[in-house]
Amino acid sequence: MRPRWGQRIPVYVVLLFGTALMVLPLLWMVSTSLASTKYVTTFPPKLFPDTFEFANYGRIFSDTDLGRYLFNSVVIVIPSMVGQVVASSFAGYALARLRAPGRRIWFVVTLATLMIPYEATIVPTFVTFQYLGWINTFWPLIVPQLFGSGYSIFLMRQFIMQIPTEYDEAARLDGLGYFGIWRRIIVPLSVPALATVAIFTFTFQWGNFLGPLIYINDPEKYPLALGLYAMTQTSNVGQTPDWNLIMAGGMLLTVPMVMVYFFGQRFLYEGGNALGRIRV
Amino acid sequence: MGTMTRSGRAPTRRTMSNRTRETVAFYLFMLPWIVGILALYAVPLVASVVLSFTDWDLFQPPQWVGLRNYSSLLTGEGSNFWLALRNTAYYAAILVPVNLALSIGFALLLNKPIVLRRWFRTAFYLPSTIPIVAVVMLWSWLLAPSGIVNSLLGTVGVDGPAWLVDPARVKDGLIIMGVWQLGGGVVLFLAALQAIPRYLYEATMLDGAGPWRQFRSITVPMLSPIILFNLINGIIGALQVFTQVYVVTQGHNAGALMLVPFLYENAFEFNKMGYASAIAVLLFVMIMLLTLVVLRWSRRWVHYEGEVS
Repeated sequence: MRPRWGQRIPVYVVLLFGTALMVLPLLWMVSTSLASTKYVTTFPPKLFPDTFEFANYGRIFSDTDLGRYLFNSVVIVIPSMVGQVVASSFAGYALARLRAPGRRIWFVVTLATLMIPYEATIVPTFVTFQYLGWINTFWPLIVPQLFGSGYSIFLMRQFIMQIPTEYDEAARLDGLGYFGIWRRIIVPLSVPALATVAIFTFTFQWGNFLGPLIYINDPEKYPLALGLYAMTQTSNVGQTPDWNLIMAGGMLLTVPMVMVYFFGQRFLYEGGNALGRIRV
Repeated sequence: MGTMTRSGRAPTRRTMSNRTRETVAFYLFMLPWIVGILALYAVPLVASVVLSFTDWDLFQPPQWVGLRNYSSLLTGEGSNFWLALRNTAYYAAILVPVNLALSIGFALLLNKPIVLRRWFRTAFYLPSTIPIVAVVMLWSWLLAPSGIVNSLLGTVGVDGPAWLVDPARVKDGLIIMGVWQLGGGVVLFLAALQAIPRYLYEATMLDGAGPWRQFRSITVPMLSPIILFNLINGIIGALQVFTQVYVVTQGHNAGALMLVPFLYENAFEFNKMGYASAIAVLLFVMIMLLTLVVLRWSRRWVHYEGEVS
């Protein structure tokens, strides 16, 4: 059955309207980031600037500290991703493949951690890290990522369960131990799930605001999200911040995330299917 | 861990049965996560509960005060707890149903055979991938008192409010940002719609069912597990909202004082660790209870494929 064009028009009208609401703000972020300082203070605001100043993207590195913030973000994000991937693939392998007393209980406990909201543990965790002298360091942001997380481990386990056990058997006959099986069989065959864990960790850590806000007071050590926020706070009352530079900073925060989703889509689909439902 | 099969451990290996070796391997692979469960979940959770019965400013040793934190939160003079709860409830009660309805609606439209479907889909998904701090920067600029939104409203004769400043409107501004990021839900619903077998629709069409009837008796039941998933995630997320609120108001707008920012200011600005722990415990209990209520209620309307009714 093919509906006639007359019936489709309302569908397109609604979708175009929705798309406009989704995309126009983004286009405005891009155009403001390329605008001159004069443009952003004109009233009433114009839809598009007259000239594009690509130099703004140079200025955020020369006139502001965003370059340093970006560097700090990378320093925090990379070990977090590695830690999450390794720890959750270890635990996922153990829960999916190795028989041991207590395995069921640990699996149930893993699922139970998903129900604990982050703020339920935030005060004692802060006190502990303060006691360890970790305030104003990256450790409170990185170290919790080195143990894995309930969601990543659940995802890894579900994915590894789909890998045929015959591979393990064959590898065992070739003389590989458990670690060898993990490294030679499980890791290469669970790349989509590993990539999914890496992407989720990146997403969380790249945008993380509360963690740095609590643990990092030294502006030298701000990651990008907190540093960008701090930039909007430093201007005096009544003085408008440089919106063009802030929007350029917003782009700096946004573009890597969009790229990660764009290139990771394939993995997210395969990795997510292991959960029995499709995501992205 | 590779050492288990290599030199050095050879004598033990001979005496260990295969079963024991597998158990040892299990616990070695689980070691990081078991440490994590204890250090990041179990111990802090218990510590939160214990601390909630104390008065502690981090400098003096904690003082046991029994239920005093709870009573001053719930019934104390000038306690902001109920204000924070009301604001959070308002935010959640509008954002969650609006996002749910709009996500389903747009997913239904995107599921139709239209041109450029991939492009439309990407357009709806894109905003949901943007980090919250960037979202707030962008919308503070769009919703500024003399910003583009108000200037557009002005052209149709509406006098736009000071969205993110006026205590009466700041929650609405935050809700707008939340709605803008509904793309994750759209994508989930779209995937669920594509999994509904066509023959179900064809069968009801033969029975003479119209589009509304089909929507009610096929689409909604088939989507119901995803509706439940989105509903629970949405409620939990809305109750725990922090970053948007903090970046917009720095906690200094009574119109947007919500539960986690309230916890944050008590713990990390006023150093009231015991009081803040009591807020955390109350929030945890509320989230648990609400989740259980929704799960129980969902038995009446969630339909699982393959379930015998």
